[in-house]
Amino acid sequence: MQPRLDPLRIASQTHTLANGLRVVAHYDASAPSVAVHLMYHAGSREEHPGRTGLAHLLEHLMFEGSLHAPKGEFDDLLERVGGSNNGSTWLDRTNYFETVPAHAVELALWLERERMAHFLPVLSEEMLELQRGVVLNERLQSCESRPYGLADERLYASLFPAAHPYSWPTIGYRADLEAITLADVRAFYEQFYTPRNAVLVLAGDLRPERAFALAERYFGDLPAGPPPSRLDGVAAPHARTRPLSMQDHVSFPRWYRATAVPRFGSPEWAALDVLSYVLADGESSRLQRALVRDGQLAQDADTWLFPTELHGVFGIVATARSGVEPARIAAAVERTLAELREQGATEEEVAGAVRRARRDQLAALDELEERAEELALAATLLGDAERLNEQLDLYRRVTPDELQRVAREYLAEGSGATLTVLPGEEVVADAA
Amino acid sequence: MPRDAAARALPRPRLGPPPAPRVPEAQRFTLDNGLRVVAVERPGLPQVVLRLMLPTGSGGDPAGRAGTAALTAQLLGEGTATRPAAALHAALDGLGAAFSAQATHDGSEVEMRLLAETLDAGLSLLAELLCEPAFPPGELERVRAELLDALEARLDDPANVADDRLMREVFGPEHPYGRLSIGTPDAVAMIARDELAGFHARHYRPAGAVLVAAGSVPPATLLRSLERSFAGWLGEAAAPALPPVPAHAPGAGRCVELPWPDAAQAELRLGGLGMERSSRDWVPGIVANYLLGGSTITGRLGRLLREEKGWTYGVRSGFSAGRQPGGWVVETAVEAEAAEAALEATLAEIERLCREPVGDDELQRARDALVLSLPRAFETPGRIVSRFATIESYGLAPDYWQRFAGEIAAVDAAAVQEMANRYFRAAGLARVLVR
Repeated sequence: MQPRLDPLRIASQTHTLANGLRVVAHYDASAPSVAVHLMYHAGSREEHPGRTGLAHLLEHLMFEGSLHAPKGEFDDLLERVGGSNNGSTWLDRTNYFETVPAHAVELALWLERERMAHFLPVLSEEMLELQRGVVLNERLQSCESRPYGLADERLYASLFPAAHPYSWPTIGYRADLEAITLADVRAFYEQFYTPRNAVLVLAGDLRPERAFALAERYFGDLPAGPPPSRLDGVAAPHARTRPLSMQDHVSFPRWYRATAVPRFGSPEWAALDVLSYVLADGESSRLQRALVRDGQLAQDADTWLFPTELHGVFGIVATARSGVEPARIAAAVERTLAELREQGATEEEVAGAVRRARRDQLAALDELEERAEELALAATLLGDAERLNEQLDLYRRVTPDELQRVAREYLAEGSGATLTVLPGEEVVADAA
Repeated sequence: MPRDAAARALPRPRLGPPPAPRVPEAQRFTLDNGLRVVAVERPGLPQVVLRLMLPTGSGGDPAGRAGTAALTAQLLGEGTATRPAAALHAALDGLGAAFSAQATHDGSEVEMRLLAETLDAGLSLLAELLCEPAFPPGELERVRAELLDALEARLDDPANVADDRLMREVFGPEHPYGRLSIGTPDAVAMIARDELAGFHARHYRPAGAVLVAAGSVPPATLLRSLERSFAGWLGEAAAPALPPVPAHAPGAGRCVELPWPDAAQAELRLGGLGMERSSRDWVPGIVANYLLGGSTITGRLGRLLREEKGWTYGVRSGFSAGRQPGGWVVETAVEAEAAEAALEATLAEIERLCREPVGDDELQRARDALVLSLPRAFETPGRIVSRFATIESYGLAPDYWQRFAGEIAAVDAAAVQEMANRYFRAAGLARVLVR
């Protein structure tokens, strides 16, 4: 088959320092900016039951200062040069990133070095208590006080057995957040925040030779750190589960379905992603028609696909229209999936979905910060930043047959976990 | 051996001079039918982002028909004179296009994102749905029902309840800025198909509208394609003036408390009247705001409420842009028990900014942050479109962004204090507390 789209290539070079830090350089001088992206291969999946939320709480603490850049300086110094910065924690990784005008790249590198090398001496009970409070407020604001805000954590706690590290939420359960100690924080940092467990991407108006030289200057002298110990095998996700329901302070029922699928970077990955577009992206997509437009059962319908390492997660969600029983939504989704499994999608449908996926990839990759993150994710989870291009290329060749095959394989009737959120009194209690 | 013992201290790097801010140049054209076009070539990935702006939004809703502009925009993609909705969607989705339309208080906007290779076909579809929407009755009833559900669902979120109430306290229930641009349930239920068609006929016209585009396509190519697709679109867009906003926020000085069962957090808002986007106060105003709460972590409010007290995940403040004076709002969600303390602390910080001139160092940081971060504001086609759309929507000078850095640099401590006293003073602010 002829590929449908021109190739899309994000060029990069990788150099590994003696201590194991992998440095990825991507040159683009179209704006006088550089994105600095440091990704540690550690996320909430490295936590243990009873200490969930640890990885994310540590991320907060990392902004609270280091030995030579005391509290307040991190943001202050970057703002003075016109830089932006942030960090995020997820299941498999934690990232820290700055976008700075090209003259300030060394400042960002120095600050990242500072917190990779000189964080523990400033870590204190006082800092921990303060950020524990901030994170508990974050949990309130983004989960407990938001409509449907606790649905995700119930859904994953149902899809994955309790011992599986994807079964708990990255933000952490309230009781666990309250229990985390300084010793927990220290141990996690010492184990995972090391050169050998990190990828540094420098993207933008900076020549690769200089990027590698700067990486050597700011990180080359740091010890590699201990080999990170990871769980050896994880319990398999549930193939099917008992349907769950919960009540929340909402006006309309919402129905969720999630299944575990092959990991990010697997040969089926592009087909799974294109399937998510065929199902719910665009008004002509299968679920928009079946649930929203023709069926008039739902106000909205969407899909998601997690690019995660142990498994991917494929999700479907829809909010009921006024007076519609959520069971009718569940039935309509299952019917739609059955049609795809039995008859597949048309060539035109797949071609359009591939173009829409490309559209979203272009929109994301246009931003330096996101481009750096995609390179970092490929290096972290797939072993090589270059594999980003191989992933992008797979989309050009997805066929209707392949799409049908992944639908049959991974979206079988009644597979995975389902959750219905019903209007009622919200019950805020940890799922664990 | 612990790492910190092993690692030496490296001196903080000394930086060279910052790169000169580069703001892209736009090319401006007017088509024969009067449609103005602002095009920016942004070499890079093969895509184009377009935003077509009509000069009337919910501010032009007929009396008793709040939501007319919004429903009109939503129905654009729901079928045309020659193509039913399903065929239109199959065509758009087949191209890989993203299309959306909405009404704000000040205008109506249609936005499209295209793969560069589909430019001609995409623009031809855009022209079709803009010029000859059919407003099919069946689609209207479905969209209306969805909108009514959405209006109900948004009140499930205490943050929305707080936002909505604050706007009413600041602008009053009569001014369009005091209401949601998507309308009210009572009015949305009443709007007839003919009213949408009438709104469209009056306001969706090329003369008076502006199309802003940015992407990998050269402006000349874009212009040729636009001329082909939009030649048949004719007429002048009616643009009734908005009523003036009240001279004083009707809720100024009072605190409205709205109960929320079992709230663990309180949604807290403070707000007052701001300025029109074209005001000379805008630039000094955003510097003053940046110092207070525009910068969420290092601003005075973030530093106190989050970094010192740990009461909240975040607090921010900001002006909203408008043709008429928009609002100025402080927003946060805090632990329920800390609500009173957070409100007092916020007012105290405001009072301090009004009373004491800001120090040179703090002011310099704010100015540098705003100026040196400019390249990011123009980094992607989507952001370029937003920046130039601002110029067009509010009648700013064509070289506004070229002059922006110089204007920020000229803001001094006296100007900051003047802005704080003009826009942030406690007496002019309404407060809303949902918990």
